[in-house]
Amino acid sequence: MSESRSTPTNQGFGRVLVVIYAIFAIGATSRSVIQIVGRFEEAPVAYSLSAFAAVVYIVATVSLARGDQASRTVAYVAIGIEMAGVLIVGAASVAFPSAFPDATVWSNFGGGYLFIPLVLPIIGLWWLRRSTPEDAAAR
Amino acid sequence: MTGAFSTATIAAGLVIAVWAAIYLVMKRPVDRPLQIAQLVLAGMFVVLAIGGIVQMLGTDREFARAEFVGYLLLSPLIPVGAWWWSKNDKSRAGSGVVLVIGLVMPVLVVRIQQVWAGV
Repeated sequence: MSESRSTPTNQGFGRVLVVIYAIFAIGATSRSVIQIVGRFEEAPVAYSLSAFAAVVYIVATVSLARGDQASRTVAYVAIGIEMAGVLIVGAASVAFPSAFPDATVWSNFGGGYLFIPLVLPIIGLWWLRRSTPEDAAAR
Repeated sequence: MTGAFSTATIAAGLVIAVWAAIYLVMKRPVDRPLQIAQLVLAGMFVVLAIGGIVQMLGTDREFARAEFVGYLLLSPLIPVGAWWWSKNDKSRAGSGVVLVIGLVMPVLVVRIQQVWAGV
């Protein structure tokens, strides 16, 4: 691989990706705080999943922004969970709508958010494969 | 909350988005005027937050107040974060960051207006 083509995870397109993840992290966290504090008993499954999704987005944002070798491993795990989450919760929300009286970020495969939650982990994993650890690039 | 000032915040966000998009196409990094523009946008959201909370206290209408205040208080932090994240970037990726923020902030205003309207 030629050195000029390999970009550190937290540089180039990675910086834009981090911002998109950060927005989802902020949005999912604040939304789930309001849901859990205000009306947890209305939809405990959906609101627990919202909180879980929020944590996944926070971990993904921070690890992508750090971009070193260890953080990249964390990012792979977080984005892998995100991918599985949006597929499993998306399928479950379509198959058992009664279990989800209120929507989560991942309901209906992220359809309430222009399907960005479905596309984002694909782009995230693609970027992790394509980019290199920050410390390796600095050498 | 639905007046001229909130329309101005939407317009400001879109202007910044177009500005950043031009830089992105020209492969230019974020420069000082675009950095200042982001901080001006953040300042406008501070004003929007103060105005929105004052308006909220002046009405006893039923709507999701906690959510409304949450949106208003968090929103100025987003352009500030983007300003910080884009200013350390010497490539055109910084302009990409600003483009995303310029598009997200108007959507946020619309969402805040929806909460205000009780949607």
